[in-house]
Amino acid sequence: MNPGPKILFYLFGKDFLPITDTLIVGWVSVIIILIGAKYLTTSLTIRPNGKQNVAEFIIEIIYKQIEPMLPGEGWRFLPFIATIFIYVGVGNLIGVVPGVTNPTGDLNTTLGLALVVFVVTQYEGMREYGVWGYIKSFAEPVIFLLPINIIGELAKPISHSFRLFGNIVGGGIIITLIYQAAPFLIPVPLHAWFGIFVGAIQALIFGMVAIAYISVAKS
Amino acid sequence: MVEFSPAVIDTIIRAAALLGAGFAMIAGIGPGIGQGYAAGKAVESVARDPEARGNIITTMLLGQAVAESTGIYSLVIAIVLIFTI
Repeated sequence: MNPGPKILFYLFGKDFLPITDTLIVGWVSVIIILIGAKYLTTSLTIRPNGKQNVAEFIIEIIYKQIEPMLPGEGWRFLPFIATIFIYVGVGNLIGVVPGVTNPTGDLNTTLGLALVVFVVTQYEGMREYGVWGYIKSFAEPVIFLLPINIIGELAKPISHSFRLFGNIVGGGIIITLIYQAAPFLIPVPLHAWFGIFVGAIQALIFGMVAIAYISVAKS
Repeated sequence: MVEFSPAVIDTIIRAAALLGAGFAMIAGIGPGIGQGYAAGKAVESVARDPEARGNIITTMLLGQAVAESTGIYSLVIAIVLIFTI
């Protein structure tokens, strides 16, 4: 038993561009999101009905998380934050299907998302204060704190990505161990806990921490 | 001076790595206490002001997620020690 991504085959010859199972499940979840979004948003009307209610419900939940922390800019950040929420959510919940590895149980996925959030955070900070003003804010309140502030800023994407990765991989290891000990019936509540509950909470937290980082950079 | 064969040295290294993984997970105490404290305070706040339940739960979850980081670091270190050595 070995946690983490398994290399299935190599694109372009030996040892170049390995294709892992988490990468394939990541593509599958992107396709699921695309089909779902297309299905939910066909035939939009003023008076919502049926599937349009579902789409509006999802968007409203995400909007209500953004608006209190970034006042007045909810609609501006909604596409970015909603992408993270929905991709991480689908990536976490797809692991409920037995035998499917979570795309978020791969450090490459989570670190990629965290680096995108990191770049957006820096951009928003510079947009708010100007480039020089933002760089100067690292040397506050005294100049001695400059290295500590820079390390603290660089630690954000690391803790952001390792939190999601560790939660998903930890749950996956426990479920694999239980499957070896008792393969029938007992893993079902564990799938409900680690797959659905922890997956949904961690997707919510990944998005909320991204909002919190952006709002800290802007204040 | 006792000479060990490479197999014995490998076994000692593996045993030390597994022990280290166990010791690393002692860090699980910290997030346990921290998250429990946050949850207890949230219960107190909801009991005092039931109207603000949604906001309190969101803030509690965010704080608990940040408090969990140290435990997750130790879990990652334990996983690395178990599966790479």
